[in-house]
Amino acid sequence: MLSLWLPRFSTDRVRRLREFQAPLVVYGRRGNADVLTAVDDAADKLGLHAGTALAQARAMHPAIEAVMEEAEADAALLDKIADWCLRYTPLVACDAPDGLLLDIGGCAHLYGGEQKLVADLGQRMARAGFAYRVAIAGTIGAAHAAARFGNPAAYATGEERDIVSPLPLAALRLEPATVASLARVGLKRIGDMIDLPRSPLTARFGATLLRQLDRALGAEHEPLNPRLPVAPYVAERRFHEPIAREEDVLGTVEKLAARLGVALERRGDGARRIELTLFRTDGAVRRIAVGCSRPLRDAPDIRALFSERLAALADAVDPGFGFDMARLSVVIAESSPPEQIGIGNAEDAGELARLIDRLSARLGSQRVRRPVALDSHIPELAAATLPAQMIGQDHDWDAFRRHRAESDLAPRPLRLLTRPEPIEALAEVPDGPPLRFRWRRALHDVISAEGPERIEGAWWSEQNGHPSGNLARDYFRVEDRTGLRFWLYRAGLYRDLVRGELPNVAPPSWYLHGTFA
Amino acid sequence: MLDELRQRLRAMEKTTGIEDGRGLVPLGMADVDAALGGGLARGALHEIAAAGEAHLAAATGFTLGLAACARNVLWIAEDMALNESGAPYGPGLDFFKRAPERLVTVAVAHKRDLLWAMEEALRCRALGAVIGEVRHGAIDSVAVRRLSLAAAESGALALLLRAQPAHDASTAMTRWIAGAAPSAPAHDFEFGSPRFAAQLVRNRRGPLGSWILEWRDTDERFVLAATHAQPVAAPLLNRPRQKVA
Repeated sequence: MLSLWLPRFSTDRVRRLREFQAPLVVYGRRGNADVLTAVDDAADKLGLHAGTALAQARAMHPAIEAVMEEAEADAALLDKIADWCLRYTPLVACDAPDGLLLDIGGCAHLYGGEQKLVADLGQRMARAGFAYRVAIAGTIGAAHAAARFGNPAAYATGEERDIVSPLPLAALRLEPATVASLARVGLKRIGDMIDLPRSPLTARFGATLLRQLDRALGAEHEPLNPRLPVAPYVAERRFHEPIAREEDVLGTVEKLAARLGVALERRGDGARRIELTLFRTDGAVRRIAVGCSRPLRDAPDIRALFSERLAALADAVDPGFGFDMARLSVVIAESSPPEQIGIGNAEDAGELARLIDRLSARLGSQRVRRPVALDSHIPELAAATLPAQMIGQDHDWDAFRRHRAESDLAPRPLRLLTRPEPIEALAEVPDGPPLRFRWRRALHDVISAEGPERIEGAWWSEQNGHPSGNLARDYFRVEDRTGLRFWLYRAGLYRDLVRGELPNVAPPSWYLHGTFA
Repeated sequence: MLDELRQRLRAMEKTTGIEDGRGLVPLGMADVDAALGGGLARGALHEIAAAGEAHLAAATGFTLGLAACARNVLWIAEDMALNESGAPYGPGLDFFKRAPERLVTVAVAHKRDLLWAMEEALRCRALGAVIGEVRHGAIDSVAVRRLSLAAAESGALALLLRAQPAHDASTAMTRWIAGAAPSAPAHDFEFGSPRFAAQLVRNRRGPLGSWILEWRDTDERFVLAATHAQPVAAPLLNRPRQKVA
């Protein structure tokens, strides 16, 4: 476990944005006072530290520069650094507010050992303008403690017990009040406490104290909570010379996809969602994801999807001075028997799925949809469209056809308006079809009409944004003089109005809901 | 002599790649099929314009009637069109005897995307027809030509559905104006089958025509209801290609 601590995180962030000559402090409002929350090295030498009141600090040293804190900007930058650290390991967790945890188990050898990895990390952090401290230990607790309270000259490795024993108790991530009361009984270092009998300690200071100690020593396991889910399949590639051209990026994608394809095939899996992570030389990280409607493992197909995705990105992928590393990970994998991929009887289905993937990659998967039948009697809820990548080819309308045959359903329009539009209609008898109506400023004379088909509202649900709410509707199919056919309905019944049983019943109103061929 | 020349002319036309039909889809009406030279040419672009904004649903039905139903159909429309005229409704498609499970809809934000998606779809061999709905505005003739070529490549039916008749030049194989026509009342208070007024206003193979078609959903095809008393243009079958004034 590697713990990275950025002791001057807030001030370093401000310094990256603007040049400051004077000692720099960051302050924030705590209660009713402005209090320093971070200080840089120069201010530290002047004796300022977090917690000092800003007014007091200004009185002591009028020359200091004070900047308001920005917690969101800090968090966003920490996220960016965490993204950037993905180059070392996929398991990166934020150790808020100013640290990161990297699980480098099994990864260090890729850099030629822990020493070299830390050297590389340190070099890059220093170049980016951050003061940093690094420690590697077997447990999260020990690494955290060593990074913050250990010897700053070198990162620590070795037995957890040896690492943490000389460190102060605050290193155990305890409440300040607990640390203070421990100090009152003479316990200052972790070593003072390790061999004490456990039950009196628990009785006096609570279970947290010993749990934190156990975690630091490795007696209790502490799981790392990585920022991003770990992909089941990952392939990555580093470049000696940064690459910048789109063709090179796509070529790399294809090579990595070919490597992933082998791994996927061995386990009988296919990729449903693939993510490409590009690491820029200056530390920026770009993540691009594509989805597929069926498990995929052909490298050229994957390349084609990313090619569409890159073409659709408005800001393109800005390579800056080039990317020095690329990683392709399968975020969601799904088992797919080998014979389903490639040639087969369902060649048409495969072709169509490929087209759907390409369109979805370019336009967005929400825009490529297939109609599905739903179990509802209310017209606008009886059918919906779902992203084609989600449902694939499985959905069929046989259930709807059975229902249609059984209940002798009246015809439905070819096109349904997203929202029924109010029309002015004139009916001969209150409950009958309209004689003429006006829709979108045009007057239509009704020649023949079919109906009504009464569809009761969903009284059990809220109005769900529908203009006619949950009132019962009487649908009519009408044809006008020119042969245009419409699907109209009257919301609300005259019966309710006449009986006066329900309070506040509005007079029935007419809507146009769809058009027939 | 004349026949020989005609054949040579046809051979020359074929080199454009657009008219190299991979077959024709007969509509099953002798008159119409004769005008089309045997049927609707596959692997070519056909334009269908609604007779007016209100006739869009009828034009939609006409378009869907032309699209062969056995294979998948891709429908590409702008967001605006779906909001204004309504989206294709699954149950309605089923009533029109067009299987909803064979339909894929694509909503696009710009006409540019629509043309791109259409071209991309036309290169896919799994589709029987690609319908692009263009609400208004001219379409770049280069784009239309690209669509024609893409359609010729895969043999799919490319159908451009427009909300209003267009007057721009186009390389489409045929251009239709479709609208609703009053249906013949079947019984009292019963609705007759939907009827369409279909006008063939441009045809690269020559003759034009105007017909009233009736959609029979029992046998899933159009039948001829009546021919206009006065055809828009004389159905001269061997009419040469349009002369440049």
